[in-house]
Amino acid sequence: MHLFDFPDRLSPMLVKELRQGMRTKAFVGVFLALQIILGVILLSAGAAASSDSAGSTISNIIFIFFSIAVLIIQPMRGITALSSEVKGNTIDMMVLTRLSAWRIVTGKWASIVSQSALLLVTIIPYLILRYFFGGMNLVGEIVFLAVLFLSSAALTAVTVGLSASSSVILRSVLPMIALPIGAYSLLMMLMFGGMGGGGLSSFFSLATDESRIFTSIYLAVCAYYGFFMLSTGTSLIAPYAENHSTLRRLISLAVTVTAAVLGSMSFTDADTLPFFFTVVLLPVFAISLSEFAPLAAPTFRKFAKRGPLGHLAGFFLFPGWASGFIFCLALIGISAVPFLLNQPTYGGNDTFIYGLACLAGLLFPAVIINVFRINGPQRVSNYVLILIGSVVLSSVLAGITDSLSNEDLLWLFCWIPPVLMFLENMGSGSGDEVLIASFVICALYIGTLLLRAVHDYRKSIMEIRSHSDSE
Amino acid sequence: MSNAAITVHNLYRFFGPLQAVNGVSFEIPHGSVCGFVGANGAGKTTTMRILASLDYPTMGHAEICGINVTHHPAEVRRLIGWMPDHFGNYDNMTVLEYLDFYARALGYKGAERRQRIDEVMDFTDLVPLADRFSNKLSKGMTQRLCLGRSLLHDPQVLIMDEPAAGLDPKARVELKHLIRVLAKEGKTIFISSHILSELGEMCDSLLFINNGRIVHHGDSESLKKSTDILGGVLYDVQLDGDPQALSDWAVLQPNIEFLESRRNGGRIRIDTEDPNKAADVLARMVKDNLRVVDFHREQRNLEDAFIDILANLEKKQPSLATPPPLPPQASLLPQEPPYDP
Repeated sequence: MHLFDFPDRLSPMLVKELRQGMRTKAFVGVFLALQIILGVILLSAGAAASSDSAGSTISNIIFIFFSIAVLIIQPMRGITALSSEVKGNTIDMMVLTRLSAWRIVTGKWASIVSQSALLLVTIIPYLILRYFFGGMNLVGEIVFLAVLFLSSAALTAVTVGLSASSSVILRSVLPMIALPIGAYSLLMMLMFGGMGGGGLSSFFSLATDESRIFTSIYLAVCAYYGFFMLSTGTSLIAPYAENHSTLRRLISLAVTVTAAVLGSMSFTDADTLPFFFTVVLLPVFAISLSEFAPLAAPTFRKFAKRGPLGHLAGFFLFPGWASGFIFCLALIGISAVPFLLNQPTYGGNDTFIYGLACLAGLLFPAVIINVFRINGPQRVSNYVLILIGSVVLSSVLAGITDSLSNEDLLWLFCWIPPVLMFLENMGSGSGDEVLIASFVICALYIGTLLLRAVHDYRKSIMEIRSHSDSE
Repeated sequence: MSNAAITVHNLYRFFGPLQAVNGVSFEIPHGSVCGFVGANGAGKTTTMRILASLDYPTMGHAEICGINVTHHPAEVRRLIGWMPDHFGNYDNMTVLEYLDFYARALGYKGAERRQRIDEVMDFTDLVPLADRFSNKLSKGMTQRLCLGRSLLHDPQVLIMDEPAAGLDPKARVELKHLIRVLAKEGKTIFISSHILSELGEMCDSLLFINNGRIVHHGDSESLKKSTDILGGVLYDVQLDGDPQALSDWAVLQPNIEFLESRRNGGRIRIDTEDPNKAADVLARMVKDNLRVVDFHREQRNLEDAFIDILANLEKKQPSLATPPPLPPQASLLPQEPPYDP
């Protein structure tokens, strides 16, 4: 057995990335810094062992530094994962091997996650030592550690997936802003929630139904978003004759159906239902409504050879924004089911208004992109930036309205969907006016997109047929 | 199905309004070396990327050993080795690890993988560099490494896009030697280069592309003959004194064309092959007080042929020298390269 044969069973991409990654200054630096800091802290804590809170203080410090390492530094290493391959023109050479685009992306992701796992393993001795200081909620701290690690894996999937984008804002600026903010919020919860006397460790001990449901949903969302982002990264580097959209849409369909079943069973209260579905639909809307993927002949043929059923499926599942919108309409229909089934339990129009505003909010960037024909290579980043911009602008408008005590300004901008939520929050007019406005805006956006989508879809089908004939 | 190693039939590739490849058709037989010549932006790289299954034709088709590159890219990728015109190397990875990664990615395992890596390193003379980091190599070494990578799976067809670009003369000679050895082994090599004289020496045939269209396909000798549209013989003339005097003198002479200035003189074309006429020209130069120190006949080279082809196109078919208008059906076709979504 040769030394080089040992990793034969592993993905070649993982082997390559681990070889490179474990030599990088970023990994070596984080690894050594974590060991030094934790060693020093544990030694210092030994001197204060008599204190009652020594154990929980040590836990807090271990989790804080581990969180910084796995929630900020490790995911940030994914920012250049694919862009460096694209820039260096090495992606072509990899695509020409037997490695699929999916294996390339997941190999990159798995390598960073493996290194995070290595960091996780190295803090276990410190946690064992901390056990002897007493006051440890063993299950809670282990589950929390696992949740941190899985969150890191999901965040890494996000940065690796986005790293294939040609937009610097999307692949670098947004993660560099969002990751520290997210980690800071978590650290605040750690420091002020405390690990010893309750807080996160007792929450994650899974003693209550609420914590079990929250943890399960959180991990499911992490897995869903992680898959979605890796799949998006795959689409961005794969030759467009390869179709990754269809699988992505089928998985999002399964997730939406599951969410609709859960929603229909009233597992969550009516107020959170719109936000629950926004979380479920956000990635599939963002990608499907901005997808720049010309319909390639091989993809078309795969559907066409299944006859009328294949053509019907293609209407929803062909790559490209046009069929993406039609698919999103189907998801909207599925998502509407729990709202309609739970309707008798609603006290007012709030749930419908929030639901419609969230839906219009997801459609709004696609309307801007397609009406103004922003067809460049950065459609996904344009979608995300318009989405963020609409939320920020609505918040600013709501702030101004609040200070002026005059809602006319908000009504003027009610075509920006998040404004509708602020109008409802402020109890503007009668609830029916906001509800009608929400319906009209939703219908307007859906109508506009539908016209464009049908036009673009028919053109692409005619074109692919004419080229197939010419061949 | 064609017997050729590479078949391209009526191939088009548009990027929005840009017609990068415009109805290209050609065949390259098994075991031959074909040079692909054209100016920057002529469509060489796009054609090669389509052949390597890295890009997708707007219309038409391309085959490698009879297999359609668009419909069966995975099969085609097993048959081809691809050397891009520019590429980066990996940080923190040695030459041996680099080849090991690609060998793994190509599906080799255990002893077979080690054997392939040894053979390739031996062939490309990379053994002394095995432990060097791949991003610390010189351009010549990097090209050898890239050639080694493209040979790992012993492909039947090698597609090399400007492999000699940026190489020093020594590295260029080494690369040329390697290509000759590969050609003797029976591999089909499709190579693009700006250094036409080198292509002439290496290649069995040459393809000239201009504005996305093939404007000539033949061997280098036939190319020189067929493109010598003006006839005559070329002479290199060296003077003792102001080289400008030669061009000034040539302008006034019948049947003599001044082609280009050189350090101490220039190159002229005399429109007859009669050596007596050449002697007369030399005598006239001396009589007109040009201090000629060297006057010798020159062979037409491939650069001359290439320039003649372009000149010929401009004269005969101006529509071939500039792209025709875009067909309306191309408007919705892929607007971006596949890796820039």
